[in-house]
Amino acid sequence: MEGGSGGASAVSFVLSLLIALPLFGAPVVYAAGKIDKRLGIYVSLALSAAILVIAGYIFWQVYATPPAPGQYLFQEKYSWISFSSFGLDYFLGTDGLSSPLLFVSALLTVLVVLGSRKLIDHHEAEYYSLIFMFEGAIMGVFTSLNLILFYIFWEVVLIPMFFFIGVWGGPRRKYAALKFIIFTFAGSTIMLLGFLYVYLGMLPNATFDIPYLAGKIPVALQYLPLLASFIGFAVKLPLVPFHTWLPDAHVEAPSPISVLLAGVLLKMGGYGFLRISIGLFPNASVQYAWVFLALGLFSMFYGAVAALLQRDLKKMIAFTSINHMGFVLFGAYATLVSGNLLGIQGAIFQMFTHALAVGALFMLTGYIQHQAGTREIPLLRGLGTTMPRTATILVLGAAAAMGLPPFSSFLAEFMVIAAGISASAITAISVLVPVITAGYFLWMIKRTVLSPAEPGHEVHDMGWDDVAAFAVYLIPLVVLIVTSYLILTPALPVAEFLRGLT
Amino acid sequence: MIDDLTVTIVLLAGTSLFLPLFQLSKWKTAKLPGYVLAVVLGATMVLIGLFTYSPSAVSWAGTLVAPDQLGGIFALVTVGITLAVTVASFDFEKSTSDPVYYSLLGFTALGMVLLSYSQDLLMLFVSWELMSLPTYVLAGFDKKLRSNEASVKYAIIGAMSSAVILYAISLAYGLTGSTQISAVVSGFASHPTALAGVAALLFVAGFGFKMSIVPFHMWIPDAYEGAPTTISTLLAAATKKAGFIAAIRVLLGITTLYVVTGSPLFTMANVFAVLAVVTMTVGNVSALTQKSMTRLLAYSSIAQAGYMLIGFVAFSNAPGSAAATLGLTGTIFHVINHAVMKGAAFLAAALVLLQLKRADLGAYNGLGKRMPITAFTLTIAFLGLAGVPPLSGFWSKLLLVLSVANGPYGWVALAAILNSAFSLGYYAWIIKRMYIDEGESTEKVKEPFWFVLVFAVMVGLIIGIGLFPQQVISFASSAASSFVG
Repeated sequence: MEGGSGGASAVSFVLSLLIALPLFGAPVVYAAGKIDKRLGIYVSLALSAAILVIAGYIFWQVYATPPAPGQYLFQEKYSWISFSSFGLDYFLGTDGLSSPLLFVSALLTVLVVLGSRKLIDHHEAEYYSLIFMFEGAIMGVFTSLNLILFYIFWEVVLIPMFFFIGVWGGPRRKYAALKFIIFTFAGSTIMLLGFLYVYLGMLPNATFDIPYLAGKIPVALQYLPLLASFIGFAVKLPLVPFHTWLPDAHVEAPSPISVLLAGVLLKMGGYGFLRISIGLFPNASVQYAWVFLALGLFSMFYGAVAALLQRDLKKMIAFTSINHMGFVLFGAYATLVSGNLLGIQGAIFQMFTHALAVGALFMLTGYIQHQAGTREIPLLRGLGTTMPRTATILVLGAAAAMGLPPFSSFLAEFMVIAAGISASAITAISVLVPVITAGYFLWMIKRTVLSPAEPGHEVHDMGWDDVAAFAVYLIPLVVLIVTSYLILTPALPVAEFLRGLT
Repeated sequence: MIDDLTVTIVLLAGTSLFLPLFQLSKWKTAKLPGYVLAVVLGATMVLIGLFTYSPSAVSWAGTLVAPDQLGGIFALVTVGITLAVTVASFDFEKSTSDPVYYSLLGFTALGMVLLSYSQDLLMLFVSWELMSLPTYVLAGFDKKLRSNEASVKYAIIGAMSSAVILYAISLAYGLTGSTQISAVVSGFASHPTALAGVAALLFVAGFGFKMSIVPFHMWIPDAYEGAPTTISTLLAAATKKAGFIAAIRVLLGITTLYVVTGSPLFTMANVFAVLAVVTMTVGNVSALTQKSMTRLLAYSSIAQAGYMLIGFVAFSNAPGSAAATLGLTGTIFHVINHAVMKGAAFLAAALVLLQLKRADLGAYNGLGKRMPITAFTLTIAFLGLAGVPPLSGFWSKLLLVLSVANGPYGWVALAAILNSAFSLGYYAWIIKRMYIDEGESTEKVKEPFWFVLVFAVMVGLIIGIGLFPQQVISFASSAASSFVG
């Protein structure tokens, strides 16, 4: 059936397991949580750890035997629906683009379960089971090699997120939840329309399977679907001006959910741009690459400048996400224009590092609000003396987010900017973005950590167990600057494949 | 010779005739009549299932009734919904423990079965009336002012639509000298006169009342709101589908061969395309502004009729093509899915009305805590209706959209997708009310056993068909291709 994949002989139910385990684990977690809250949390931890092991195995396998350009490991393909002229496959596979995302999603899920035990105090059973529904759907998004299957998982992701924001969110949660679901659902239906357009245009030899479509879609068929998928992905990424749901969603979402939102959900947008916008519509992408580069650059600047103006620590980090995800789009299209592979490699790397760095910061805002009672930067004073452990993590997290060595975000941003410059010298202006980012982070640290404490204001620092949890976010970032090959080696064939499409 | 279809008809008719006798007996108010009907309807479904899979088992397939696969699907769906309504009625209001109520339900089911298999316009009309007349009474069964008003309104509109159909039949007979549907179709094709076009449009209008197509939809929200909600379920999920089978048999036959007037714009495909887009848009926009659940469901039901019409567009545009088969498959599939989803939603609304005595949307605030099973059922039904994957409604909408996306009716596909996205607005709004808003009370409300049973089956179907659609799609597809071919 399948021709020449690197992992043809490998066990090939692993990806299904990766999707099924969380989806079928969700009701188990719910039942356990209904029996006893603590039991629910223990079951969640065990389940998420098991999933992390599987994701880690996949990540390692993809590193050890990177699939050739355009090939996928752990392929599974079954006919799902077929009648007369219509056929649909259940088709999974992974490569150097998706395996880091699978791993980081599984890792963040463990950390989110850990972090939630102190920050979530009602409807725990529902909460933890929804986390696994979310995780299962995310794994499905990153492994689907069939456009309709991809779309299905893509939509399923929305449902738990809607409830996360709506049920466990802040004061304006109702508004934010509805805004989130309507924005993203509208974006994704337009994306679906683009997929159908491709399918119908390719009749009678039409398919929804991504590996067979890549490089085979006639140029004339690429423009409209590129636009349609662009809208779907730009909303998720999010790209200015499609970003307006994000600050609302982040501000209202509970902090662990912000971690998932920024660390995992936004990656769906970056992944979609690489796998589908570029992977399926390369010629049209190249033609309009300058538009995408400009939009990415604009998002980077906009996110950085807007972050500078925020008073709410969490909103500031939300805009940092917009800034960082702009790098992903920018890097991806820089490779298309210049042929410099660093762009796509950097984009994949950036997605990984952003997930951990910003994940740590979002989780931290939850702790700060929990302990200090506010997230307003001007009101948070003297953290360095009152909450030394929290302040240390905040400084380290900020250093990771602004791309300070030895955190690997430095490397990722460096690669993207280098590729940008080889595309056009004008984009050298993008080096200003990390400068602004460093500026607002340092200014925030000056105001919160280095300021004198207000006398008589008693706050409790986080415990050492939490410090350990935060270390799990930050240590991989330090390790990865030395062992960046873990991500960059398997990313190379992906970058070569995408570059070679045009 | 005695065969399955005969047994089915005799069984249903006999039971319906016999049920009112319970009123004379000492079991007058017991639940026994309901149980009897439920068992008979269940047996009917088994029988229909049997001869739908092997139609040769029926010997008297004559000129009036012929048990084909297409009819089998509609008979199964409509009887299935009647069964769900019957079972839910066990625990419903006092008025529904009247044996006459179940007798009338039985007659309606019989009418829908016969209608599904009708091959002759007169047979079609008689079964149409057999289906409709009991529902006029049922709509007023509450003996409350509101219910009676609904009943009268529904009866007047219903009588009018029957008159329109009858007039169309008389025209068809006058033009072709036959009431046999196939003869009428070929007669219209060989003698395309203006009068034949008028007859076709009269059929559209007559069936359109039951199918809840805009502009023949005015009575629907009032009738659904006033009638006992179990009966609204029957109207939205079952009799409406009967309107669709009539339209498929008569109108698709006519349009396969015939363009109504000489004008290139005035084709049946264009008529259906405009009706489809207007119906779904009016339904969705009106649903957004409703303050009562039954009215919201009524408008959502109207919108769904618009989606179902898309298959008619694909069919009329290129009869006999692959797109026509795909479109008709989509329509049949969506009929099945919509019956289940709307049935679940209406029964959930019926239970809320029964237990909380309120139908306004405020009653749904915090329902997730008060009636968790009902709220969950409603959530799944709503997500399915909005076309969120991987639920069943997604697949049928996908087929419908695919059937017209390629070709001159791409704008219909676009309208359907935009409408779907738009409709999630009001569905999500209700889901938000149930799970995110706080209710006036958090006290648990009893969810009776029979309702829970029906909910479980329907939610199972929505999710099950969503995950494994192959079986149902190939069933619908073979019915569609046998009709096309």
